[in-house]
Amino acid sequence: MEALNAFSVSLQAVWNDSGFSAFTMGNGIMILVGLVLLYMAFVKEFEPLLLGPIAFGCILANFPNTGFFGEEMNVMKAINYGITYEIFPPLIFLGIGAMTDFSPLLARPSTLLLGAAAQIGVFVALGGAMLVGFDVHEAAAIGIIGGADGPTSIYLSTKLAPHLLGAIAVAAYSYMSLVPLIQPPIMKLMTTQKEREIVMKELRPVTKFERVVFPIVSTIFISLLLPPIAALLGCLMLGNLFRESGVTDRLSDTAQNALINIVTIFLGTGTGMTMSAESFLRTDTLLIIGLGLVAFMGGTAGGLIFGKIMCKFTGGAINPLIGSAGVSAVPMAARVSQLVGMKAKPGNYLLMHAMGPNVAGVIGTAVAAGTMLAMLK
Amino acid sequence: MEHSPVTTNPLIIMLINMTVVFIVLVALIYLIKLIHFFDPTKEKPKPEVAEEDEPLVAVKSSSPAPVAPAVEEGINPEVIAAISAAIAAYGFAGQVKAVHILNHEGTPWRASAKFNNLQRK
Repeated sequence: MEALNAFSVSLQAVWNDSGFSAFTMGNGIMILVGLVLLYMAFVKEFEPLLLGPIAFGCILANFPNTGFFGEEMNVMKAINYGITYEIFPPLIFLGIGAMTDFSPLLARPSTLLLGAAAQIGVFVALGGAMLVGFDVHEAAAIGIIGGADGPTSIYLSTKLAPHLLGAIAVAAYSYMSLVPLIQPPIMKLMTTQKEREIVMKELRPVTKFERVVFPIVSTIFISLLLPPIAALLGCLMLGNLFRESGVTDRLSDTAQNALINIVTIFLGTGTGMTMSAESFLRTDTLLIIGLGLVAFMGGTAGGLIFGKIMCKFTGGAINPLIGSAGVSAVPMAARVSQLVGMKAKPGNYLLMHAMGPNVAGVIGTAVAAGTMLAMLK
Repeated sequence: MEHSPVTTNPLIIMLINMTVVFIVLVALIYLIKLIHFFDPTKEKPKPEVAEEDEPLVAVKSSSPAPVAPAVEEGINPEVIAAISAAIAAYGFAGQVKAVHILNHEGTPWRASAKFNNLQRK
C-alpha cells in the first residue's frame, strides 16, 4: 500500500513538474506559429538562416516550467544575455563588414544619398505607429523595420522597446525575405519604361588605399558624432578592414564564416525565445507587422523618388531603379534592382551600381537608429 | 544616462532625423572624395596622345539592340544576372547571348581537356 502511495505521489510530482500541467492555449498557438515559421524557413526558404533559429526559439519559449529565465544560469539565459546586453547585433555587423565590398560606394559616393532617402520609410512608420497609439520609444523601434536591417532593428528595440523585440524581429526578417515580392511592383509603378532602361556608366576602379582608409575614417567620424552606434558601426568597419587590409585573411575568414554563423544561431534562437505567448499574442503584434510593411514600402518609394531626382539632375546618368536598393537588405535589394532592370532592358547590368546605395542603406539605417537613440533614450 | 525624449511630435522627429541622416551621409560623400583626392596610389590621368602619334581609324559602330540571352531551361534568372554582372565587371562590353548548363558527366580527363581548350582561347 505504501509503495502504491509513493508511486502515486511520484507520478503526481512528475505531472506537476511537466509542461503539460501548465500548458495554455496561448502556448499551443505560439508553437503553431513557430511551426509555420519553420515551414517558411526550411520549405519556402524565406531567410532560413535566421528564421529557422527564430522559429525554433519560439517553440522552445512556449514550453512551460523549463526554467529558462529563472534564477539559475543556463544556456538559454546566457543566449538571452547576448541580446539583452546588445552583444550579438554588433558581432553580426562584424561578419557583414567582412563580407561587404564597399568599392561600388567608394566609386560613386553620391549613391549615399539614396541610402539616406530610403530611410524615409522608417519615419513614415514611426508616425503611423504613434497614430495608432504606440508611445514614441515603441514607435521608433517599430519604424526601424523600414530600414530592412535585422541586427539594427534588434539593437534599437532592445534599447527602446524590449517587450516588442520578438514581433519586431519577426517582422523585419520576414519582410527582408519578401524583398523580391514587395519591391518590384512599387518599382514598376514609380518608374517609366524609359527610366528603367537607362544604362549606367561603368564605375571607376577603386584603389586599395581608399578601401582601407574608408572604414577607419568613417568609424572615427560617425562614432564621434553618434556614440550610441559606435559598437554597430565600429564592428561593421572592423570586419571590412579585416577584409581589405590583405594581411588578416584568417580574421576575415573567421568573421565572415564561423563567427557570423555561430552568432546567427544564437541571435536567432535568442530572438525566438522572446516570443512567449504572453508577450506575442497581442493586437500590438498584428499592428507591428502591418506597420513594418508600411515602413518597408515607404523606404522603397523614398529611394526610388530620390533616384528619379538624381536621374533628372544628372541628365539621365542614374537609373532610378538603384534607389530601391537604399533599403539595406544586403544584397537582396540590389539583386532586385538588377532583375527589374534586366527585364526592362536585357543586358543592362545594374547590380554593381545598386550595391552602392545598398551598402549606404546599412550605414543610413545605423545612423537613423543612432539619431533616434540620441533623441529618445 | 537616460533622459526624457526631446520631443514626441512624429513630424519633428522625422525632420530632425532625416536632416541628421542626410548631413552625416553627405559628410561621408566628402570624406570619400577627400580620401580619393589624397590617395597617393591612384593612377595619374594619362597625358593626351598627340594626334599624329596614332592615326585615327574610323570604326563602324554596329551595336545591335540588346536581346534576351537564349537560356537553357532550369537556370535561375538570378544566376543569369550574376553571370552577366561578372562578365561586365571584367570589362567585357558585349552582351550574353546564350547560357547553357555544361555536362559535368564524363571523366576528369575530359574535364581537363575542356579546361585546356578554354584556356587556349
